Amino acid sequence: MDEEPERAKRWEGGYERTWEVLKEDESGSLKATVEDILFQAKRKRVFESHGQVRLGMMRHLYVVIDSSRTMEDQDLKPNRLTSTLKLMEFFVEEYFDQNPIIGNVLLFEINTFFYICFDAGNPKKHVAALKKAVGSTCLGEPSLYNALNIAMQTLKHMPGHTSREILIIFSSLTTCDPANIYELIKTLKELKIRVSVIGLSAEVRVCTILTRETGGSYNVILDESHFKELLMLHVKPPPASSSSECSLIRMGFPQHIIASVSDQDAKPSFSMSHLESVDEGPGLTLGGYYCPQCRAKYTELPVECKVCGLTLVSAPHLARSFHHLFPLDAFQESPLEEHTGDRFCQACQGELKDKSVFTCPACSSVFCTECDLFIHDTLHCCPACIHTQGAS
Amino acid sequence: MASEDEVSLLVIVVDVNPIWWGQQAQREPEFNLSKCLDAVMVMANSHLVMTRTNKLAIIASHCQESHFLYPNKHWKAGDVAGDEVSSGSGDGKYELLSVANDLVAEEIRNLMARTQVKGHQTDTLLAGSLAKALCYIHRVSKELEAGQDMKSRILVSSWFPFSSAVYFCIIFVQMSMGIFGLIIYYILQVVKAAEDCALQYMNFMNVIFAAQKQNILIDACVLDSDSGLLQQACDITGGLYLKIPQKTALAQYLLWVFLPDADQRSQLVLPPSVHVDYRAACFCHRNLIEIGYVCSVCLSIFCNFSPICTTCETAFKIPLPQMMKPKKKKLKTAN
Repeated sequence: MDEEPERAKRWEGGYERTWEVLKEDESGSLKATVEDILFQAKRKRVFESHGQVRLGMMRHLYVVIDSSRTMEDQDLKPNRLTSTLKLMEFFVEEYFDQNPIIGNVLLFEINTFFYICFDAGNPKKHVAALKKAVGSTCLGEPSLYNALNIAMQTLKHMPGHTSREILIIFSSLTTCDPANIYELIKTLKELKIRVSVIGLSAEVRVCTILTRETGGSYNVILDESHFKELLMLHVKPPPASSSSECSLIRMGFPQHIIASVSDQDAKPSFSMSHLESVDEGPGLTLGGYYCPQCRAKYTELPVECKVCGLTLVSAPHLARSFHHLFPLDAFQESPLEEHTGDRFCQACQGELKDKSVFTCPACSSVFCTECDLFIHDTLHCCPACIHTQGAS
Repeated sequence: MASEDEVSLLVIVVDVNPIWWGQQAQREPEFNLSKCLDAVMVMANSHLVMTRTNKLAIIASHCQESHFLYPNKHWKAGDVAGDEVSSGSGDGKYELLSVANDLVAEEIRNLMARTQVKGHQTDTLLAGSLAKALCYIHRVSKELEAGQDMKSRILVSSWFPFSSAVYFCIIFVQMSMGIFGLIIYYILQVVKAAEDCALQYMNFMNVIFAAQKQNILIDACVLDSDSGLLQQACDITGGLYLKIPQKTALAQYLLWVFLPDADQRSQLVLPPSVHVDYRAACFCHRNLIEIGYVCSVCLSIFCNFSPICTTCETAFKIPLPQMMKPKKKKLKTAN
C-alpha cells in the first residue's frame, strides 16, 4: 500500500555520545569548542544551490498557525504561541525582503479560524496584526482538514504561474477532521499546492504523507534556534514544479512624483490605500505614485491598484529577487595554516584570526569567516569578483 | 549631544579614475585630483574632530581595484607614538589627524604609481568599493564593546559617468545590453563592455539592498554628470544626493551638506531630494515604459506581449477568450 522509504528511526541507530563532542583545551575552558559548534551551525546555513533550476519567483504563501490547547505548553519560552508569533514577525520581514513581488502572506489560526491578516503588500500590517494576536487564548483541538480546506478555497483561484504554498505550524499530535483527509490531499496535489509543515511536538504520520504527496517538507523542531532556521528555509523561492504555467504578467511602473509645499500646482490628495484602513493618520499627501492606467494615487509600492487591478512595482523591487537567479557559489574552506601570503581578509581588511579561511573559487581571494557569512547572507556578490569582472 | 556610547563611522569612497581626472585636467586645470583629495581630507578631519568616538575609513576606487587609503592594514594604532615622530608633532596638530593625512597622501601616491590602466576596462568599479566598505562596516560593528551603538554612512564622491536615462535588470549571455553612456566613449568591444556594465548594475543593486538592510546611508556627491544609479542608491538607503555646480568649492559642499549625520539632518535645510526615475526599460527596445509585461520565470520586462520570452526562452500561454457553452433553449410546447 504505502511505499515509504525505509528510514532508520533514531532509537534504532547506535548510541550517540553527545558528551564527547565537548572537549576541554589545556586551560580547562570550553570556549574553543563552543565557538566551534556555533561556527559549524552558522556554516550549515549556507545553501546548497539548485543550479539551473527554474524557481517559483512569484509566490502566494499561506501560513497557518495552530492555536489549539497544546500551544500553551511552555517548552518554548514563554509559551509556544508567543514564541511562534515572535518568530513569525521576523519571518514576515525576511520574506518580504527577499520576495518583494506579490508575495501574500496570509495568516490564520487553525482552531479559531480567524484571519490574522489578509493579503497586505507590505510587512507592516502583518507585523502589527501578529503583535495584536499575541494575547489570544488557545483552546480545543486543531483540525487539519478544515485549515487546508479554507486555504485551498483561496489558493485555487490564484493564477497558474505563481507558486502556491501553504506552511503549517502544527503543534498538536491529533487532528479532528470532518471528512477523509486523504481525499483532500489528492485534491491539493491536483491543484499543485505545495504544503509544508513545521511540527512543534513530534512527527505525525498524516503530516508526513501530506507533505510527501504535495512535494513540501516536513520538519520537527529541536529548539527555538532550530525553529528559526527552519522558518528561514521557507523564505527562499522553491524550485518550481515542471507543470506550473509560465506567463507574462502585466505590471505598471509608476513614477514617483515629489511635490513640495511651495509648488503652485501641487494639490494634496488621499492615497487609495488609506480608504480601507482606520488607524492611520490624516493621509493627505502631496506626492506619491500614480498608477499609469487609472491615475489612482498610492504612497508605497508594491501594491495592486484597487481601481484597475494593475500590479504596481518599481524596478528595484524586481532587482531584489535577482540574487535568487544568480546565486553566489559557496566559498572553499581551508585551514589557516595552509594559507600563504598576506594574512588579511580582502573584504574587511581585518586580520585573519579564525582557524579557517574562505577562498572564492572564481577570483581566489581570501575572506574571513564573518565576511563569508555576510557575503552569502546579505551581500550576495563577492567584492573581489566585481573587480576582476571589470578587468577581464 | 552624542554620548560615549554612540559611534559614528564615516566611509568615504573617492573616485580616482586616472582617465577621468586626466580629461578633467585638460578641461579645467584648476581643479585636479590633489585639490579634490585636499577637500576630502578636510571633511575627514572635521568628522574625526567632531566627537572623540567618531571613526573614519577612506577607500580609493580605481579601475581595477579598490584600495583602503585609511586605515592601512599594516598600520596599527599602537604604532603612532613610535614611528611618526617627524612630521606630526611639529605643528601642534591633533596627532591622529596628521598621521591620517600623511598616510592618505602616501597611499594615494603609491596607488597611482603602481596601477596601470589596461585596455578597455576604464570605468570605475564603484560597486566593488561599496561592497568592501560594507564588509568593513560589518567587521567594525562586530568589534564594538557591549552597549555601544554604531551608525554608519558611506559618502561617495565620484564622476560616475553612467547616464541616468536607461537601466536594466538582468543579463543573459544571449542578449547584449548597451546600457550606459560609457559605451559611447569606449566602443572597442561593445558587447563585452555592455555585459560588464550590466553585471555591475546587478552587483550595484545587491550592494544597495545590503546597505538598506543594515541601515547604512549612502550619500553621493557627484562632480560631473548626473548618475541614475547613485540617485537610486541614495533614495533607497535614505541618503543625500548632490550634483556639485562648482567643483572648486567642493570642500564647502562637503562640509555644509555631508558632514552632519542622519539625526541632525532633519533640523537643517538641505538640498531637496531629486526626482528619481524608477521606471524600468524594456528589453527589446530599451525604452522606458510605464506598463509592461514581466516574465514570471526570469523577470525580464517586455513592452509588448510576445509568445516566447527571449531571455529564458519559455513559451507562454496565450490568454484566449473563454469558450461560451451554447445555451440550450427550452422549447415551449404549446399545449
